[in-house]
Amino acid sequence: MTSSRATAGPSLRLVLSSLLRADFLVFLKHRRALVISLVLPVFVLISTTSNKATERFGGPEFVIGLAIAYGLLSTSLIGYALTVARDREKGVFQRLRVTPAPTWTIMTSRLAMQVVANLIISIAVVIIGSQIHHLSLSAGTYALVLLVSILAGAVFLSIAQALVGLVKSADSVQAIARVLFAVLILLGLLGQSGALGAFWSSVARWTPVGVVMTLFAGVLGLHPWYSRDTLSLLACFGYIVVCAGIGIRWFQWDAR
Amino acid sequence: MTERVQVLRGGKAHEYVIAEEHDDGSLLLAPEPVPGGGETAPAEDGRAAAVAVAELAGILQVRDLTVAYGPKTAVDGVSFEIRRGEIFGLLGPNGAGKTSTLSAIEGLVKPQSGTILLDGIDSRRNSNQARARMGVQLQATSFQSELKIGEIVRLYAGLYGVELSSQQIADGLRAIGLDGEAHKPFKQLSGGQQQRLSLYIAVVHDPALLLLDEPTAGLDPQSRRQLWGRIENIRQEGGSILLTTHSMEEAQAVCDRVAIIDNGTLLTTETPHDLIEKHKNDPRVREIARGEVTLEDVFIGLTGSEIRD
Repeated sequence: MTSSRATAGPSLRLVLSSLLRADFLVFLKHRRALVISLVLPVFVLISTTSNKATERFGGPEFVIGLAIAYGLLSTSLIGYALTVARDREKGVFQRLRVTPAPTWTIMTSRLAMQVVANLIISIAVVIIGSQIHHLSLSAGTYALVLLVSILAGAVFLSIAQALVGLVKSADSVQAIARVLFAVLILLGLLGQSGALGAFWSSVARWTPVGVVMTLFAGVLGLHPWYSRDTLSLLACFGYIVVCAGIGIRWFQWDAR
Repeated sequence: MTERVQVLRGGKAHEYVIAEEHDDGSLLLAPEPVPGGGETAPAEDGRAAAVAVAELAGILQVRDLTVAYGPKTAVDGVSFEIRRGEIFGLLGPNGAGKTSTLSAIEGLVKPQSGTILLDGIDSRRNSNQARARMGVQLQATSFQSELKIGEIVRLYAGLYGVELSSQQIADGLRAIGLDGEAHKPFKQLSGGQQQRLSLYIAVVHDPALLLLDEPTAGLDPQSRRQLWGRIENIRQEGGSILLTTHSMEEAQAVCDRVAIIDNGTLLTTETPHDLIEKHKNDPRVREIARGEVTLEDVFIGLTGSEIRD
């Protein structure tokens, strides 16, 4: 034990730096999962190299947008939601909560690491995608992609947060996350390509994957700002507010 | 309006007014002024009295604590006080309300009513400041499985406001017999080693009160005895301890006073010796005792012999 009895709480700086250091170490140890999250986006990029396939999705910008959306969906819905659900079930959060660390710092630290993961995925997909689809991107475009990545990551993280807020069991979270992941992927691939008809194409456009894809395509193509882009941006904020609200309101630190 | 608080001393509730409320959440208590003002002590005397009261008051005062999970009341109006430097045992069968009481003190569950004063701090109003003064060992210890032992120690020390160098971590681990284990994951440690590490983390910031929820559950006799020794050392260094246990042997060997809780209600609070003396002629206890009455006989006599889940 230390020499003097504890009376004052720890500084916020020390609490945050301790949590961030630990979460960063966990993040490094999960780097294989990050690489696996890139498999599907890279598959999408490679499988759409023909002109016909690319045009079916609306052009190379839309394909890259779709690939980034899948990468972010994978790390958020499968990665973040499952890690939170498992740690909650094991009692990791309860152990952290009996320390003087404010509860918001525990989640903020985890979300910060998730944002880092999202940015790495987005940059990797854009670099690979621009090479495969022969797109020449400026530094400004990369910066815009990073901005949209943060927004898109927030959309998928809020969905993941809503999931762990509404479902307690880690096994159930895993099962539902996989189903949700498959539904959103199929809607994105089949709906956006028009393979399921006009109705599903329209539905797919306003799913989380669809609105995120539209925004990525917008910044990658650097075309004029259409009203559809504005509506997609508003839809992103709508998803974030509603899902994060549900996820925070009903989240329980203890799985029992 | 002046806020009043009740302080339990010697089993009696005494009323005080809050003379000063400090930024760190601690309260300076003064004796309640007499109505009419005729015998009210001067401010300086009141302040001196308040300091004396703060020293006399226990490290933890729990008053009329009620915890409910939906329609089920787990803790029903429980009151007790832990004195400074005391090892206090909370005993009860499964589902009696021990862990719920501890969880309320730790701030993990929100009580329906009651007050919890830890070292003068209202833990319901200033939970983080109260937690800074307590060390906790939960019933099931769980740390992030990806982290190594040294990393876990550094994390939790930081969360309690203690910055440790790698050398200090190595020294600390050596002191608890985990020399050279800093690079192992927590799950690779034996049960005894996990408990020692968990206890080390709980006291890394030298807390005023240590809360131990069934600390020796699942340990072999050697590890259990070793843990008792460590708990005694913490007390000798000035710490106060609240522990829950199912082991009457442990309660008798370690605790200065014990409280028996059942169905969410506190049945009695005594020293183990006084508890036996007080209840040794109780027919419910005599019926169970085989020879000399033990603490376990009293416990079963008071809480019944039916098995709880």
